[in-house]
Amino acid sequence: MKGIAHFISGVTVASFCPWAVETAQNGNPAYFILGAVAGILPDTVDFKFYRFFYSHDIQIEPHPDQLDPQPVADAVAKAVLLAAEGRRTTLKLATIKMDADNWRQYRVRIDPEAGEVRVQFGPIVSTGQVPQPDSLPEPRSVGVAKFNAPILQSCETTYTVDIFDGPSFAFQRNEAGEVDVDFLPWHRNWSHSLTVGLALAGMASIWTWKAGVVIAGAYMVHVIEDQMGHMGSNILFPFTKKRLPGFKMMHSGDAFPNFVGVWFCCLLIFWNIYMAVENPLYHFGFIRLMMYAMVIPFAVFGVLHQLLVRIDGSEPETQTTEWNI
Amino acid sequence: MIVVAALSVLAGTALACFLAVLPGLHIYNVMGLAVLLIYKMQSIGMAVVPELYLPFMIGLVVGWSVLNTIPSVLLGAPDESAIFTVLPGQKYLMTGRGYEGAMIIGAGSLIGLFILVFIVAPFAPKFLPVARNVFAPHMHWILWVIITFILMTEWPKGGTCGPAGWPKFADAWSTLSAGIFTFILSGLFGFLLLYRAPIDIDNAFQNIMPAFVGLFAIPWCLLNVLCGANVPKQYVRDTLNINGDLLLRGGIAGGIGGGFAAFFPVVTGGVGGLLAGHATAQRDERVFLMSQGVSKVVYYAGALMLFFVPGLFLTRGGGAWIIKGLYTPKTWGDYYLALGSIALAGGLSFLLMSPLTKWMLKLMKKVDYRLISIVALGIIVALVFSMTGGIGLFVMVVGTGIGLIPVLFGSRRLNCLGILLLPIACNMSGMGEPIAAFLGLL
Repeated sequence: MKGIAHFISGVTVASFCPWAVETAQNGNPAYFILGAVAGILPDTVDFKFYRFFYSHDIQIEPHPDQLDPQPVADAVAKAVLLAAEGRRTTLKLATIKMDADNWRQYRVRIDPEAGEVRVQFGPIVSTGQVPQPDSLPEPRSVGVAKFNAPILQSCETTYTVDIFDGPSFAFQRNEAGEVDVDFLPWHRNWSHSLTVGLALAGMASIWTWKAGVVIAGAYMVHVIEDQMGHMGSNILFPFTKKRLPGFKMMHSGDAFPNFVGVWFCCLLIFWNIYMAVENPLYHFGFIRLMMYAMVIPFAVFGVLHQLLVRIDGSEPETQTTEWNI
Repeated sequence: MIVVAALSVLAGTALACFLAVLPGLHIYNVMGLAVLLIYKMQSIGMAVVPELYLPFMIGLVVGWSVLNTIPSVLLGAPDESAIFTVLPGQKYLMTGRGYEGAMIIGAGSLIGLFILVFIVAPFAPKFLPVARNVFAPHMHWILWVIITFILMTEWPKGGTCGPAGWPKFADAWSTLSAGIFTFILSGLFGFLLLYRAPIDIDNAFQNIMPAFVGLFAIPWCLLNVLCGANVPKQYVRDTLNINGDLLLRGGIAGGIGGGFAAFFPVVTGGVGGLLAGHATAQRDERVFLMSQGVSKVVYYAGALMLFFVPGLFLTRGGGAWIIKGLYTPKTWGDYYLALGSIALAGGLSFLLMSPLTKWMLKLMKKVDYRLISIVALGIIVALVFSMTGGIGLFVMVVGTGIGLIPVLFGSRRLNCLGILLLPIACNMSGMGEPIAAFLGLL
């Protein structure tokens, strides 16, 4: 899930702790801040610290003015072959920054059936990943590199490299002799484990056990939420070495599940602090709150969305890119 | 009386048209001056009835909140609620589609007004008092959580190339550090302005204005002047390339963000827009721009509307505080007057959006963009000086220094809001005075 969903989940966990609400009512926000921080901490550790210290055996940094896809394809194929020979190989595909807000997009496809890597450069995109008109490179050749090794693809087969930081992979031969492609090996690894959450909670408990409970809850909720996606997490590090595959119920960037999650958390927080009001001026039940604030609005949104899509008939024009890989 | 009120709204909106095109001028400063004028008129025995000045003030706020998109997009001189529109807006401008960019935000503003008048207004008297009753003791931690979110969710922009290790980490953290540094610096600046207000007591209501102008408006103008961007030929399209579904998504994202900002103290439109953008995870640039238009209007006009909601009468935002000095709403009649004024001012200002944008583009065609930026900068400086004097200029310069950090380092400009968020969050949690004492401000 997205950062804000994890963040608000942490706050929600804190709101379930009576001492957090009581302390907050007395002017101390500490438990809520702790919950928020612990809720987003696993991703903070990965994206703001760990990934900069994770070294790669092969690092591909295409030059913005020399858009030859062949060296990229060769390097990816080489990583696969090295792994097939038994050597775990990590690979990084760097993004191509054009200026403050523009990036050159390219795609890499690792095709297990054809036994080849295909690479093609695409348009310049904004940080919002919107292609800029007339920015496709000429000519748009496709780089192809063959490999002769069985591949176990746990995630996607096609990777788009465009904004901020590019993807990285770890290629490793498994017991069955296949090359296992591990996407973003530095992410959702040790940082996304229940054991690390418990360890942090233990440390916080030195201050007070109440902080420990908030941190443990918020951290674990993050791990559980990520398990709903595709990649999964290394749940019991150091006892487990690999990520447990996710339940594939959603993609982490999907707008609707994220929004539903955030909104539901907001309502839970509201309910929890409402329950702490000693003499409320207004009385309502949980079901009524959910009906008024979630079920009815979302139903109206769904109907409106369907109606508008039907009325419009077609999507407004958007810049799309043809890929030949 | 209805005719008087309607004419008043129109007058306020017409004045807002002129004021909105002036970069760097915040409508609350103008409202402050208007209040002084009303006091003066009352002191010489002239009767100024609420039915005259309330619609006028609402017209000012609504008109300005819709139309200040124009300088934000075309001149890169936003107020804090429009900071997120600058970069995408400038992208539109630099691809010859400045008109389209401004009008998409304008369409968002219209959606925002629709949400306020037709969706929020009927339910507000029933539900918002409940929400206020529940949230009242919890405002301070909500503010702290928002601060935490702002500081923890800035994305490292560097560190994408080169070997792993400390240099890569340092490269990535240069933007993050600049962001945190900006927040702390502007927070300290806020403490200074709050506890040792340098602005003359007669202009105390303008206390924060020079700082805000320095933090948000001047840096971009300055960059425009120094870098001298050449604006390409601009095209005016007949259609905006949006559909109902995009409007719906932009409306929901911006409505939630703006509504949140309007309801919670100190949370500004910019913060609301940030939260909504994250929560709704919209990738489409048009939806994003539209949502910022929605958020801005819902924040400004919505905060003012909350002041008139029966059973709530919530004072949020500078506009409501300024009006509170003159009038306290009591009846449903006041609420309907406010809603009617919002609707009328909103409709009129949206209709004026297109001709004003075209006029501005024509001006940009005739006059060098750098020269326009210099004039804009001159207007801003002159306004600050005329309202707050030399000391105000000094505050503005300090604000500009802080405001330039995120612009130069590529970090979030929203960090400049530390000027409000940090001192007020500290005060709400009872830590303000000890910190001020520690800083030697007491």
